[in-house]
Amino acid sequence: MPYYRCFTPKDALTFDQRQDIARAFTDIHCGNTGAPRSFVSVSFFETPHAEQPDFSSPYYVDGANRAGRAEDVKQQLLADLTRAFGEIADVPSNMIDGRITENPASWTMEGGFVLPEPGQEGPEWYAEVAASAAD
Amino acid sequence: MITFNCTIQEGIIPDDLRPELASELARISAGILGGNPDDVSVRWIEIPHGFGFRGGHLSTTSAVRGEIPPGCQQETRVHLMQAIQDRWMELTGCTTAELVVSARDRRET
Repeated sequence: MPYYRCFTPKDALTFDQRQDIARAFTDIHCGNTGAPRSFVSVSFFETPHAEQPDFSSPYYVDGANRAGRAEDVKQQLLADLTRAFGEIADVPSNMIDGRITENPASWTMEGGFVLPEPGQEGPEWYAEVAASAAD
Repeated sequence: MITFNCTIQEGIIPDDLRPELASELARISAGILGGNPDDVSVRWIEIPHGFGFRGGHLSTTSAVRGEIPPGCQQETRVHLMQAIQDRWMELTGCTTAELVVSARDRRET
């Protein structure tokens, strides 16, 4: 967590565009939340796909984050993500929609540890994450 | 009903290992939460090479996302996630940095 799923029409994006979007999403998420970069996962699905939620726009960003962040942070995050997506994919904003859903941090184990709540990470947790990533 | 959605990267988890992983997810979850392993559902979602990233780089991470009956005590939930993590790492050889395990409450409809 966080996990961002990007739904696009078939063959809409090149590999370089997908990688640029993944890097931009990582920058944006970490810039807004302070999360470790190694925790940001981004996957791309070409529609129609069995995994896609209900949406009517051609492009959709479906984020799953830890619960507990302020509403304005979540709104800013989604706005930044969809703007970056549009710029890199060269798609107008009215063709992109998205959402961010949340689950309690304590429902996920990542890097060998149960995730802390947002804002409760502490220096020890960051050190443990870094050590885990270096293994 | 317990369900698992396993999101894996193409080429990381061999096809012939999946039945054993699914069987172990069913055995572990039924053993900890109760119920019959035959009632546990496991789905595989394979991300094609070049379509999955982590930290901005191509991903080798597997995500095992469970949906369990609501109301589980946190101690039991952690026990479940830990047992799944340990067995998955044992069978696949992945590291803790390459695995995400979650056990979320099933949403009642």
